[in-house]
Amino acid sequence: MFTRQNLIIYLVALLIILTLNFLLPRMMPGNPIIAIYGDVAVVQMSPELEAELTERFSLDQSLGRQFVSYWAALFRGDLGYSYAYNAPVAEVIFGRLPWTLLLAGLALVISTIMGILLGIESGWRRGKRLDGSLLTGMITLSGFPDFLLGILLLLLFAVNLQLLPLFGAESAYSDLGGFQRLADIGKHLLLPLVTLVLARVSGGYLLTRNAFIGELKEPYILLARAKGLKQETIRYRHAGRNSLLPVMTRTGVLLGLMVTGVLFVEIVFSYPGIGLATYEALTYRDYPLLQGLLLVSAICVLTANFIADLFYSKVDPRVSYAR
Amino acid sequence: MHVDPKREVVQSKGGRIGMALLLIVVFLAMFAPLLTTYEPLEQTVQIFAAPSWEHPLGTNHVGQDIWSQLVYAARTSLLVGLLVAVFSTVLSALIGTSAALIGGVYDRIVMRLVDAFIIIPIIILLILLSVYFNPNLSSGPLLIGIGVLIVIAVIGISLYAVRNLGWVGMLIVCPLIALVLLSRDIIQSTGGLIIILALLCWQGGARVVRAQALSLKENAYISAVQGFGASIRYIIRRHIIPELGPLLVADFIFCVRRAVFLQAGLAFIGIGDPNVVSWGSMISDARDWIFLDVWVWWLLPAGIALSVTIVAVTLIGYSLEPALDPRLRGEVSAQN
Repeated sequence: MFTRQNLIIYLVALLIILTLNFLLPRMMPGNPIIAIYGDVAVVQMSPELEAELTERFSLDQSLGRQFVSYWAALFRGDLGYSYAYNAPVAEVIFGRLPWTLLLAGLALVISTIMGILLGIESGWRRGKRLDGSLLTGMITLSGFPDFLLGILLLLLFAVNLQLLPLFGAESAYSDLGGFQRLADIGKHLLLPLVTLVLARVSGGYLLTRNAFIGELKEPYILLARAKGLKQETIRYRHAGRNSLLPVMTRTGVLLGLMVTGVLFVEIVFSYPGIGLATYEALTYRDYPLLQGLLLVSAICVLTANFIADLFYSKVDPRVSYAR
Repeated sequence: MHVDPKREVVQSKGGRIGMALLLIVVFLAMFAPLLTTYEPLEQTVQIFAAPSWEHPLGTNHVGQDIWSQLVYAARTSLLVGLLVAVFSTVLSALIGTSAALIGGVYDRIVMRLVDAFIIIPIIILLILLSVYFNPNLSSGPLLIGIGVLIVIAVIGISLYAVRNLGWVGMLIVCPLIALVLLSRDIIQSTGGLIIILALLCWQGGARVVRAQALSLKENAYISAVQGFGASIRYIIRRHIIPELGPLLVADFIFCVRRAVFLQAGLAFIGIGDPNVVSWGSMISDARDWIFLDVWVWWLLPAGIALSVTIVAVTLIGYSLEPALDPRLRGEVSAQN
């Protein structure tokens, strides 16, 4: 259920980001054009262009006026011009977004489902050997940063065994059509996807296992056993279903961080999504692109949280009663 | 709350393993100069040397001794992790308890801010901030200010730890003080990063602390003290903070983990002072040479060291789970 309180939180978050985006470059000492566009862009700039840009951002006027024209540009959908890519920032970002959504979305779904299933199986066998080794393995796995996992997988499968491609989202200049193109995209997707799933699965697993063990102690489980229900029914229908809530909450948070969470993995595999664009913008000091990326990721986060909020009240009726 | 963090850690197998692993890393960090022959940034004429007696892990692309870098990087990770956790736990405690006790408009504003910060993608914000702000602390007054803050925070934590945790407290405090004293140069070059990370990490803890403080507030003895005319400051200092101890210890551990993660990630994408040795930047450098065999003694040790540190902290944190699990004790609803 979407409440007024949530709306306020989202507005505050958006305002913080927009204000930082606006203030940071303008607080820098020296020429604001350099701070907004970066040194490289300014060197190539003609005096006319500089004058035009000054006019466009009202840089010669008061801070309040500048703020107004900043907002006006945002409402026109004008995020500025990326000098590293020689294209409007909005175009660069929306060209990259589908790849990130593909990678991050698949990783989120697979790691959540795997985490839940492993968590239930492990919790059911609490104290047995399988549970012990799964638990140890998962805690160890959670200590590996995703970029490290990515490099290790890349070393093994792409560099040494040469089974899978080293970088990119599809083969360049290959002109593949139909299924071959899909297979090519799948091949490129596999390593980054496995890396992300490995890096994420432990969180969902630990949460589910804890919740499941707690659920098994409830009296209704005892009743279900006394009724003579099948083990599978108790495991999945009763305890399993009721231990989903914490994982769902976490998935909601991860959904919000989906776009920014793939940053490192995209860098390692040179996967042409938002994360790699951020890295490149940072390397080339392409400030307009960097600011546009921050804004778009923030909007993605807010949208995802909004969707997650709508979803919670469906999964857990207590959420809508509580408010 | 009757959770004794010391007992939780010592009694669980995971907690003991975590402590042991962490002690190894702390040992490396503290005795770094005795364990190495070369300075971590000192360049020799040999590049890409294979492991030998002189260079136990060989040398990198500019001829620096990898073993020495590995050992000194432990200082960076531990120092950033510990100091970020110190600052952000102090912030969480102060803001969380004051929001719970003062309530009203103050509580509402603070909690909305906390919620807003929780959903902002930190990593992107860090990138943007680092582009515009120099993470170095070269200016004098700021450095002195941070020095004073660190001294106050470390003394406060030491007093709490030694009084309430006994020998485990000593184990935590002595290395912390030694590390801070030994690595003043790292504080100088990563101080800005430490402060930014701390400012971005306290929110989750503040929310948990507030929820717990709200339920503590309902205890009869708090009303009794209030009846005798105790001020809010007195109640926070004498009753709430000591009761919140175990929760704060758990929060502290998770902050360490998060800060070590973030620092490694930022160093990996090249944010921060290039003259600070860290596992993240070692992995990043080694990534450019994965087609040579050097990754075996360059990338792998750095990766393993980083992971061992994080696993150790995770294990300790996981053994403290009962202190954080709301189902183990009655708690007033976190949202109202």
